[in-house]
Amino acid sequence: MANEVNLNLDPRGFLEIMPQRAAAFEAASEAPLPTDYPVNKLMRAFHPDWQYARIQKIETHGPGAKSFTLVPDESKGTKELAYFSAGQYICVYLAIGASRLLRPYSIRSAPADAPAGKYILTIKRAQDGFASDYILDHWKEGGAVTLTGPEGNFTYEPLRDAKEIVGIAGGSGITPFFSLAAAIAGGAEDCRLTLLYGSRRAEDILLKDELDALARQTDKFKVIHVLSDDPAEGYESGFITADLIKKHTPSGDYSLFLCGPQEMYAYCDAQIAALALPPRRVRHELFGAPSARLTHPNLKDGAFTMKVITRNSEKEAPCAANESLLVALERAGTAVPSRCRSGECGFCHTKLLSGEVFIPSDFDKRRLADVAYNYIHPCVTFPLSDITIEVPGQKEPV
Amino acid sequence: MVKTVDVVVAGAGNAGLAAAAATAKMGLSTLLVERHNIPGGSASSFRRGRFEFEPSLHELAGYGSPGNPGDVRDIFSDLGVNVEMLEVKDAFRTIVTGPEGYDLVMPVGIENFVYAMEKAVPGSAESTVNFFKLAGDVGRALGYLSSGQPDPAVLQKDHINFMKVANLPAGPVLDALNMPPKAQQIIMTYWPYMGTPRGQFSFVLYSLMVYRYISMSAYIPKNRSHDMSLALEQAIRDHGGEVWYNTEISELLVKDGRCYGVRTRDGSEIHSKQVIANFYPDRAFAGMTPPNETPKQEVKRANARTLGMSGYCVYLGLDKSPEELGIKDYSVFINTTPDSDEQQKGMYTLDNNDFFIMNCLNIDNPGCSPEGTSILWGTQLFAPGVWDQLKPAEYKAVKNRVAKKIITAYERAAGVKISDCIEEISTATPVTFARYLDTPDGSIYGYHGVKWDAMLPRIMGMRGEQWIQGLRFAGGHGARTMGYSSTYINGYQTAQLAAQEIKEGR
Ligand SMILES: Cc1cc2nc3c(=O)[nH]c(=O)nc-3n(C[C@H](O)[C@H](O)[C@H](O)COP(=O)(O)OP(=O)(O)OC[C@H]3O[C@@H](n4cnc5c(N)ncnc54)[C@H](O)[C@@H]3O)c2cc1C
Ligand code: FES
Repeated sequence: MANEVNLNLDPRGFLEIMPQRAAAFEAASEAPLPTDYPVNKLMRAFHPDWQYARIQKIETHGPGAKSFTLVPDESKGTKELAYFSAGQYICVYLAIGASRLLRPYSIRSAPADAPAGKYILTIKRAQDGFASDYILDHWKEGGAVTLTGPEGNFTYEPLRDAKEIVGIAGGSGITPFFSLAAAIAGGAEDCRLTLLYGSRRAEDILLKDELDALARQTDKFKVIHVLSDDPAEGYESGFITADLIKKHTPSGDYSLFLCGPQEMYAYCDAQIAALALPPRRVRHELFGAPSARLTHPNLKDGAFTMKVITRNSEKEAPCAANESLLVALERAGTAVPSRCRSGECGFCHTKLLSGEVFIPSDFDKRRLADVAYNYIHPCVTFPLSDITIEVPGQKEPV
Repeated sequence: MVKTVDVVVAGAGNAGLAAAAATAKMGLSTLLVERHNIPGGSASSFRRGRFEFEPSLHELAGYGSPGNPGDVRDIFSDLGVNVEMLEVKDAFRTIVTGPEGYDLVMPVGIENFVYAMEKAVPGSAESTVNFFKLAGDVGRALGYLSSGQPDPAVLQKDHINFMKVANLPAGPVLDALNMPPKAQQIIMTYWPYMGTPRGQFSFVLYSLMVYRYISMSAYIPKNRSHDMSLALEQAIRDHGGEVWYNTEISELLVKDGRCYGVRTRDGSEIHSKQVIANFYPDRAFAGMTPPNETPKQEVKRANARTLGMSGYCVYLGLDKSPEELGIKDYSVFINTTPDSDEQQKGMYTLDNNDFFIMNCLNIDNPGCSPEGTSILWGTQLFAPGVWDQLKPAEYKAVKNRVAKKIITAYERAAGVKISDCIEEISTATPVTFARYLDTPDGSIYGYHGVKWDAMLPRIMGMRGEQWIQGLRFAGGHGARTMGYSSTYINGYQTAQLAAQEIKEGR
């Protein structure tokens, strides 16, 4: 029954609504609306579309690696470098020939250096590298570089992680730990870090003097160098085994953080299994795309054609079963949004409209609904036939 | 090159998706343009480790069962959208700590709810029954009002109770129903879903929401909100529409009071007969229209309004199952005071905000995380401005401080230990919402639903308040106010209006 409830209220209230609304509008200011808001400003301080920087200083570490000190390029509108959490990475934007690409590099310097106007990247030549070769051979002091904002989740989280961190680093995987150690020394992070750092020989240790200097600054950071090829006095030797981890692990609860090449993960993961740590106590940094050949036993070489649709435009380009679609897209000069190149961040989110692909299951970090609606992450997807994909555009740097 | 379509929808939030799917379904050439690389706005999901988190949706109202479908289910089926939905079994658990406190689980179904309320507050039954009857009256009246120009005589005759409550906040109406104070507090539990407490918030909208939840149950998508968003996106494609991601609209093209398209950030123009904007009018009229085509009325209207609440969430992937932890409830509302006006005061501060909701997804979505784990997330509201003054270097510590407070308060109130089994943690703050939604100050609730700007006045104002022809707004800032079901409905209805205008050749 309608209107059954007996209410001692005045129905004329209804008639007042619109006049009240009109009065509220009438009384309002005609001042122009704000074009920006404080929270949105803070957001852009963390997540700028692009950061423009200059290379202030280059340091050479032997034949295979260099450190680049980057400072904001005010002439292009970057006044401050975005703040970040130790362990995060930025991507550098590169135009090499017809290709336009992004490559992730962990920020090696302390977060506190960012507001002071400095990031340091330490970049090692990769085997068969393309971008890393280019950077090491072409970046010069005074040169201009374009960066994305910081990304990534390889950070110390006080509500999740133990206060004791045991780090396992290999090669250029030292970079996020270096930043964390610097953040600990500077007081930005309140935890302790014991770092097992694997290198081939003593002379290969990347950033050795800098690491030792940090360890002298604070008793919350300790570094143990582990040499795989040439044992030397004062160093651990061999691979990073469960026994070695146990030997240097503090008593009580700890979190294990790993960052290094995929071969290191393969070896160390087997060792870690013996420690019987719960999954929440073991964290891996991403370190790039898988090799299709390693993960697909029956993969045949195959050359295919991909049709790429972006907004109004359409083009065709070659792709191949042994190369990720992201690389094929970059090779074809398509500006594809990407960040992690490891299947995780979702920046390369792309619709597969037709064709067959292969996604190594360890790298398939897609959302459930993405799988259902044929969305893929091209950075970890390999074509098995001709395909058609819809790639979102990218807001290009100036 | 200029692209020409019938309808451009700017923004792929719930309202934008529903609008674009609807215009495409009606045979209009439709282009949906979104600045982010996925659809949905808040209606999305994200992964951390072995968990996939729901970022925002607690409960979808107005969906209903196949036998008793609500308007959202009807809209989805009209658009050909098929999503696996799960029913939320209880209405809510509410825990108020402290001397006036209580701890109650309230069921769905009007009779069950009235019975549980009578048990909790003896003598409340009649007023609770009347609350639902009145909410039914309100629903019928709104149906009448939405169907066209209302006739005052019909209103007087058929909708007298509605006229009595239409201009009142929830408080005075609950008083007029002689609802005991404690029952009022319990029935107001949902208010944070709206962000405006009983003293200010329109009874019409509040009663409708409670009515929909209790009479039809709430629903959640099995594969998170991202599934609803992709299903709607697929519907747009299936009906011949197009979707462009990573494409930001920077200008609305307006000449002589008529909007004829949009310009994207990279300079291309899209011309259309109708533009449906899913972003806030505050954005549109702060530089997206030519100065001489910026209606003074729009500026004044935006200035008259107060931005709605923003939010804070902490998402937790735990390495214990709900059974091991002793969690039985999907949503728990936790407060230190039962008074919604008091609760709201805390939302204007960073450190005295004691109200939060804790959800355990596994309860009504079993299997949403691997065996032996569970997904919990805590939600708070913060008024715009509260997170304004933070420096980048303080941000991580502050968001963790808020997270820790929620976790500790939950452990105390619910008697469940969770801090020692956190495998994944992530937080979303007003800054995060500003990033993914680009709303002013990270607002997630449109505008405050004060009396003159609640759903009813917005609906009644819809026709008269269009100052640029060919341009309509749909979203949480729109006629139906905020919330998932409101924005789906608002997008769908806005599409009908736009289509009608195209059909009439205006
Ligand atoms: C989160 C994260 C942090 C990292 N941090 C660091 C760090 O701090 N320091 C560090 O040294 N490294 C770091 N790395 C690794 C780094 O990003 C690169 O993976 C590494 O430098 C190798 O890059 P590359 O381009 O040389 O080789 P890859 O990109 O791995 O391989 C080269 C690829 O380019 C393709 N290619 C060849 N020609 C073309 C063409 N014309 N157009 C397009 N593609 C072509 C090749 O086929 C091949 O697939 C990090 C990686 C991640 C994921
Ligand atoms: S670039 Fe991160 S998922 Fe592909």
